Amino acid sequence: MIEKDLIIIGGGPAGLKAAKSALDSGSSVLIIERNSELGGQLIKQTHKFFGSEKQYAKTRGFDIAHILISELAPYKERLEIELDTTVVGLYKDHVVTTLKDDSYQKYHAKAIIVATGASEKVLAFENNDLPGIYGAGAVQTLMNLYRVLPGKEVVMIGSGNIGLIVSYQLMQAGVVVKAVIEAAPTIGGYKVHASKLRRLGVPILTSTTIKKAFGTDQLEKIEIVSIDKNWKEISGSERIIFTDTLCVSVGLSPMHQLLSMAEIKMHCINELGGLVPSISDFHETSMEKVFVCGDVIGVEEASSAMVEGALIGLVAAERIGYVHPKLTELKTDYLMQLDALRSGPFGKKSRIGLDRLKVSEHA
Amino acid sequence: MRVKRHPIIEAKEQSQIRFIFNGNEVIGYQGDTIASALHALGIKVLSRSIQKHRARGFYCAIGNCGSCHMIVDNVPNVKTCITKLEPGMVVSTQKGLGKII
Repeated sequence: MIEKDLIIIGGGPAGLKAAKSALDSGSSVLIIERNSELGGQLIKQTHKFFGSEKQYAKTRGFDIAHILISELAPYKERLEIELDTTVVGLYKDHVVTTLKDDSYQKYHAKAIIVATGASEKVLAFENNDLPGIYGAGAVQTLMNLYRVLPGKEVVMIGSGNIGLIVSYQLMQAGVVVKAVIEAAPTIGGYKVHASKLRRLGVPILTSTTIKKAFGTDQLEKIEIVSIDKNWKEISGSERIIFTDTLCVSVGLSPMHQLLSMAEIKMHCINELGGLVPSISDFHETSMEKVFVCGDVIGVEEASSAMVEGALIGLVAAERIGYVHPKLTELKTDYLMQLDALRSGPFGKKSRIGLDRLKVSEHA
Repeated sequence: MRVKRHPIIEAKEQSQIRFIFNGNEVIGYQGDTIASALHALGIKVLSRSIQKHRARGFYCAIGNCGSCHMIVDNVPNVKTCITKLEPGMVVSTQKGLGKII
């Protein structure tokens, strides 16, 4: 058993920022990352971020990943990073077990931050398992990291920001985007992303959903159908679109599995993406000294994940005796940044979700 | 198919990696995962489902969903979407459950 101060599970935007804050506070840190590099999903994001300068606005996602990693460089003596390492167990006595190259390791930590992120949801329709049907994030990984095209033509299901941004990136890579379809009556993501697609002639079909996919061994075509305001299919409105690729961008679910495994108290909050842990004001779960930040406590954008990480890194370090000299000042700043990020109409879902989580807690 | 020109991502000249897919020698590139190399060759079917033998490709490409399992160097259930391609790997389509023992 290896003893540690603070273990951070997940080296994405939330985990990296949490590490920086904890190191600044004087704690030593072990980051455990499943992937062979740090940065989480930032590494495949070629678009420039929104928000304010504090959250690296106007910088491309993959460049933000480099910045977050380089911010940790001054702390070599107190920072350990295990890559290609999967956490396979989280236990009530703060034991973390990992798997790397077929060998197990056991750690014990004074505090643990779970920053495992989220995974893409699937959508139920006939033949949704055909090769050629991928998560939108998967296609982004394929083309932006490995420079491989998913196909010749794509239909995107879902007009949230991921659906819109990935559609645009598909066009940048040379793929024809035949349509974006959206079940809701209005476009889900930012207008600025939708407008870019419309200017390039991509139809965005609202109040429309997929009914069925066709193909033997791989996708050949899909059937779409219009739906009314009660989300009922309008018979006779079915249309066929020929396409070899379909992207599903219907949201993400928090990766709660480790928390559930440790029997941490959970609630199902749809606005936050699914199962999330019940938390104190500063994100401590029902298991003492186990904290959460980023998408695992509610699916949002990477900007919020970074601020949350920065905040929770401070709090977790403080909890085990490493107090940042500017603790109060920084906490206030991060809380204000989070409020600002969640203040607009696009932050409404997170606000409702987090409120519902609080209510469930006291129910 | 690979991205030919891109306004943001710089093209890097990558060295070739030879590997075996279902008995035939094929070529991928340095930096590929097994799944990305196969996809670039137009191979989308990575496995067959357990009961109905339906074709399976990858879904998430980041090691979450388990839809990309293949047999690699005699080991079944390898997540090919996150396993880096190496020279000489012997990769085959996995049909149903893999035999572990």
